[in-house]
Amino acid sequence: MNRRRTTLTLLLTLLAVLPGITAAHATSYSQIEGSGSTWSKNIVDQWIADVTANGMAVVYSGTGSSQGRKDFANGTTDFGISEIPYQGTDEFGNADTSNGRDYAYLPIVAGGTAFTYQLKVGTTMVRNLRLSGETLAKIFTNQITDWSDPAITKDNNGRAFPALPITPVVRSDGSGTTAQFTTWLDNQYPSIWRPYFGRSGLTSYYPRKGRAIGQAGSDQVMNTIASKVGNGTIAYIEYSYPINKIAEDGKPYPVVKVLNRGGFFVEPTQYNVAVALTRAKINHDRSSQLYLTQILDGVYSFDDPRAYPLSSYSYMIIPTGADDTRMTTSKRQTLADFMFYSLCTGQTKAGDYGYSPLPLNLVQAGFEQLAKLHAADKNVVVTNRDVTRCNNPTFVAGDLSRNHLAEIAPMPADCDKVGAGPCGTDTGHNQPSTNDNTDDQGDNDGDPNDNTPGNDQDGPSGPNSTGPGEDPGGPGTTDPGSSTSIDPETGLPIGTDNTSTSSGSAIYANPTELVAEREADRRTFGVLAVGELLALVLLPGLFVGWSRRRRTGRAVR
Amino acid sequence: MLRRISLAGAVVALAGSALLAGVPTADTGSAATLGNSGGDSGSAWTKTRSIGRVFTNADGSTYAFPERSVTVRVAQTHDLRGRQRIHISWSGAQPSGARASNPYGENGLLQEYPVVIMQCRGVDDPSLPAAKRLAPQTCWSSSVAERSQVQSSPSNAVWEHDVYAADADKGRLGGLDPFPGADVCPTADTTGYDTRLTPFRAANGKVYPACDAAHMPPEAAVGAAYPPSELAAFTDLDGNGSVQFEVRSSTENESLGCSHTVACSIVVIPIMGVSCDRPAAPPTIADNACRQSGNFPAGSSNFAGDGVDLAVSPALWWTESNWRNRFSVPITFGLPPDTCDILDPRAPTGFYGSELLAQAALQWAPAYCLRSDRFKFQANQMPDGSAYRLMEQGEAPAAEVSSLQPASGSDPVGYAPTAVTGFAVAYDIDRPDNAGEYGALRLNARLLAKLLTQSYLGSDLGRDHPGIGGNPLSINTDPEFRRLNPGLSTTAQEAAATVLSLSQSSDVLTTVTDYIAHDPAAMAFVSGKPDPWGMVVNPAYRNLDLPVAEWPLLDTFIPTTQNTCRQDNPTVYFSAIAAPVTTLRKVSEALLDAWPNVQTRCDVDLGTGAYKLGRIDRQSYGSRFMLGIVSLGDAARYGLRTAALQTKPGTYVGPGGSSLAAAVGLAHQAKRFEPFVIDQAAVRANGRAYPGTMVVYTAARLQHLDKDDAAKVAQFIRVSTTEGQRPGSGNGQLPAGYLPITDSGVTRKLFDSAQLVAAAVARQYVPPTSSPSGSPSPTPTDTSSTDPSGGPSGPPTGPTSGPSDLTDPGAGTPSTAPSPTTSPTDVASASAADVTPTSAVTSRVARLLLPVLLAIGIGCGLVAGLGGALTRSRQ
Repeated sequence: MNRRRTTLTLLLTLLAVLPGITAAHATSYSQIEGSGSTWSKNIVDQWIADVTANGMAVVYSGTGSSQGRKDFANGTTDFGISEIPYQGTDEFGNADTSNGRDYAYLPIVAGGTAFTYQLKVGTTMVRNLRLSGETLAKIFTNQITDWSDPAITKDNNGRAFPALPITPVVRSDGSGTTAQFTTWLDNQYPSIWRPYFGRSGLTSYYPRKGRAIGQAGSDQVMNTIASKVGNGTIAYIEYSYPINKIAEDGKPYPVVKVLNRGGFFVEPTQYNVAVALTRAKINHDRSSQLYLTQILDGVYSFDDPRAYPLSSYSYMIIPTGADDTRMTTSKRQTLADFMFYSLCTGQTKAGDYGYSPLPLNLVQAGFEQLAKLHAADKNVVVTNRDVTRCNNPTFVAGDLSRNHLAEIAPMPADCDKVGAGPCGTDTGHNQPSTNDNTDDQGDNDGDPNDNTPGNDQDGPSGPNSTGPGEDPGGPGTTDPGSSTSIDPETGLPIGTDNTSTSSGSAIYANPTELVAEREADRRTFGVLAVGELLALVLLPGLFVGWSRRRRTGRAVR
Repeated sequence: MLRRISLAGAVVALAGSALLAGVPTADTGSAATLGNSGGDSGSAWTKTRSIGRVFTNADGSTYAFPERSVTVRVAQTHDLRGRQRIHISWSGAQPSGARASNPYGENGLLQEYPVVIMQCRGVDDPSLPAAKRLAPQTCWSSSVAERSQVQSSPSNAVWEHDVYAADADKGRLGGLDPFPGADVCPTADTTGYDTRLTPFRAANGKVYPACDAAHMPPEAAVGAAYPPSELAAFTDLDGNGSVQFEVRSSTENESLGCSHTVACSIVVIPIMGVSCDRPAAPPTIADNACRQSGNFPAGSSNFAGDGVDLAVSPALWWTESNWRNRFSVPITFGLPPDTCDILDPRAPTGFYGSELLAQAALQWAPAYCLRSDRFKFQANQMPDGSAYRLMEQGEAPAAEVSSLQPASGSDPVGYAPTAVTGFAVAYDIDRPDNAGEYGALRLNARLLAKLLTQSYLGSDLGRDHPGIGGNPLSINTDPEFRRLNPGLSTTAQEAAATVLSLSQSSDVLTTVTDYIAHDPAAMAFVSGKPDPWGMVVNPAYRNLDLPVAEWPLLDTFIPTTQNTCRQDNPTVYFSAIAAPVTTLRKVSEALLDAWPNVQTRCDVDLGTGAYKLGRIDRQSYGSRFMLGIVSLGDAARYGLRTAALQTKPGTYVGPGGSSLAAAVGLAHQAKRFEPFVIDQAAVRANGRAYPGTMVVYTAARLQHLDKDDAAKVAQFIRVSTTEGQRPGSGNGQLPAGYLPITDSGVTRKLFDSAQLVAAAVARQYVPPTSSPSGSPSPTPTDTSSTDPSGGPSGPPTGPTSGPSDLTDPGAGTPSTAPSPTTSPTDVASASAADVTPTSAVTSRVARLLLPVLLAIGIGCGLVAGLGGALTRSRQ
């Protein structure tokens, strides 16, 4: 790595002293245009706004990854953004190539494909749902069709949800999000996915069947989840969408904590994504057209307790041909500097928007891909772009291949473990779930260190992880042997030293099976109650009146 | 009291209008006129000239069509910016026919007698050297078909019979000398076919033959993400027409290359038809083709894209016959602003929040990065509430919000007024029969409520919706709307059943719905009372509590239909029509493209063969009807038309300098450091104030903010409320769409409040009384940042023990502050109350039931008593 860097520096220095090229002042920008992924659009839009201050004009339309690849191939755009590379031939036998246009991939941001949902117990939204990959696979292939399914109950450590049909919401347009999700399905649960799909492999067009609803674009998927009829729906979507969508109770939309191979249910925070992607196998063969693309098998199966399994990178496709008819020096310069900003400083805000910053080695590799713009046109300036000045939160001084975020990623709370919990904390807040901010209700494995901050590197803290036979008690049914003090009045553990405890608002699905709230029930019982009350108030008076009239009538007679 | 306020409002309104020199009071709100700073009237351009068409007869005599005296007006020609949209209008032109559904680029070619408008490099001045003169070769088009006729049948080669054409241009092949060989343009020279090229000469001198897509400049593309700006515009039956034309600088289009050093022109060519030379005897097919005068009647549409007469189409704009009829409008671009250096090593400081600030922030940012004594400012867009939480949690130094946010942190927060702007209801509406765009939309709160509550049916699919089957299909068929906006099309369409709005939480939505909430007629409608024409609210939204920060999608109706596609994709129909989006910017873009976000299209996906839902097509020019909620900044930037909203019954106020100032005049601040509140009831009473007026505040913590961050926030408040309020399009200036905040006049109170907050932010003063932890050492920042529940609520004191605990020696050590045995109980029990499932269930009906019933009971008793008395007295 170091040698490569030295070579690069040398090369760049050489280029810098070429006559007529000065870094800042020679740069002139021309507008560049691109289309593609909605998965990464939220952060790309912000980067575009940021570089306006640098005089760069970038037009981007979120048409879906498939369309983005097509537009690039047809030469109507200057760049494309896609979660998956050109497939050669797509799942319908149509060409999915660049149509002869020279290109290179570079990763632009990492993130987690989240599962957001709307599920109510009574009138209150569930915010701490946990599901295993297998359950998710079965839900999206219509094998598990009801929220009261025993598999879901088991994932949630015995807490049953109401009997309510599950409505999966999928993308109807050609989507990289769908491609990411189905890649994972095909890799991890082929026996579930392939019979449903009718073949093997990934698809960008989800094969919607049965109750599932197809919607075009991530915005519409989120709208469907959040609508009045959304109760019972679940969708796959980039994490940034639910965390910025506020539900009627004023909190963000929740996301499923997905079970990883480390035995913990985790949310796609920037930390958990960063941890998972340390196992992404990046194609490092520079001669390959697939250089820098991802193979995620190791991510899916990573057994770190913090890893979010459906983590991945999003890619930009840049034109590298020297004779590319759409490109000019100033367009290439704009593309190079737009990406320089995005890969460098732009990564610092990835976490705030629900993404995860790229590790430095990928930033570095991205820079090398950008250098191909210089190779295509010597007037493009790519000097003085130093990765170490990016303020990148993943940076570990001295070792570009390490990811600081992954190293400081906190351990999940004990109550997020299989067979424990579930934790009461809400999801969708873009905050990691740790022992700091959960209160471990129902999880009492006798570990006296329950309330110390997490981050103990030895993984699951308790040696005797709780078995499935543990009493799935709700608040107040805590094991008396626990060292945690319980307030006798509220039944809540006390002394949790944190500020953002959302313990009070956690919803624990009632182990007693309920039917979901039904409008008709409310109305019927409401009418009944009104009738009864009316009777209660009116009948005595009426009776008195009636009897008096009878009396007076009798008296008159 | 009320009268005095409204008087004050009137005074400030006058003051406000005085501030915006040269901008007419926009009470009709025809376009976003607010602070159109660039629009100095001196650079408007007008010219009138006569243009005609002649046929040479077989005997050599000529027949001239009556000449037309055409006047072209251009609103602004100097000091333009890239992507600025300029209003161009004309009168006296030949009425057009065969209107295309989209007049831009190659889509506009199949029309008759349109007005071609394009941008060309150079100016029309014979005294200039050829390189600086404009010519068809320097005029921009985004497709080959707009400039070249390749492989045309000789019988259709009208241009070869152009009486004004040089003989050299009348050959089988022409336009470029030497004509490109088959190695360059394989299709250009084909035996039996004629080809005429109009090459493009780029700013760098390179000539593109324009014989096929591969030989066009790099910026040219069909179906690109960035749509073409050149168009063939439609003239109505009276000879009038107008467009907003987007000019492009060398940043957007390098090959065209217009900049402050390279002069350019807008060329307007009213197509009159090719003038024809002497016909052969007998006349050839081509001779006759040249003399054609249109397949379509004037005023007609051609949405099917049927063939038109080439001689009167825009495709031959470059023929000498048409080219000589041009109006060349010289334009100049302003100096490009200095920009931040991409290599600037300083880390940017991001403020998070309101999109209303977006256009201002774009101009402000370079004024920070370019100075070493300032920090590197970035505006990160986010819902107001989320941004405020980030600020409270210390993850962002400041948030940009438009209203008082619920506090979840313990530190006091100051709100510094930073910009006065707001929202608008923008629209694309065409008058029927191709009579041009509608420019005077008026709306009231009830109409907005009808749109938002999804009470229009959209199409016949909505007719089975329970409870509202008799409602109009869309707003343009609603008698209330038609009374306010007479003369519009009454053809119902789904896009006219909704107003495109935000899906995420925003103070903009709060203001929109607060406006509705203060209108008695609108609220009566929402509560279920039919409007005078019998339209009723969608029951799903009946009695919805307003205002709301996020508009919920409450409808549940899924139509039953025979359509197999919809049977396969059952969705809530009205939600698919509403289809809100995440940013106001997306709404503006949808309006710019006249592309509603209605998601009801249901068809077979060509790839999968399966049925799928998606977005409907772009609307056709001439029959557009689309509404959307946008920011005033975007409306001004993109030249969107904005509606006037009703205030007092019968009074309609659009966004403008005076109407925003009038609203600011009504603003009140309840407490120091808090936001001002513009009471919609006062706006309504005032009559002259614009209801969509909003103030954007920079909100930051007044205690425990990092010292560097505090200095940055204070600097930002001070700079943005002084130099940031000078109107203009330069770095650091205030763009159109914002009312300047100054230290005099109506905005003075905002200015003063901002300076006060800036001082408090800079000071970060922690009064001793507000930190009851009573730590003897004056290190409040250190302790309380780790103090989990610190702040004025006094967490270390037990719920019952009272202030005597202040002396508790343990209270000074932060780590043990909430002693496990006592302190959290009040916190825990408070939140525990929320947990109990029973307490969460509340119902207004239930709450009122007992008192009401008791009243009824008493009433009945009284009636019974009276009845008894009556019976008795009768006896």
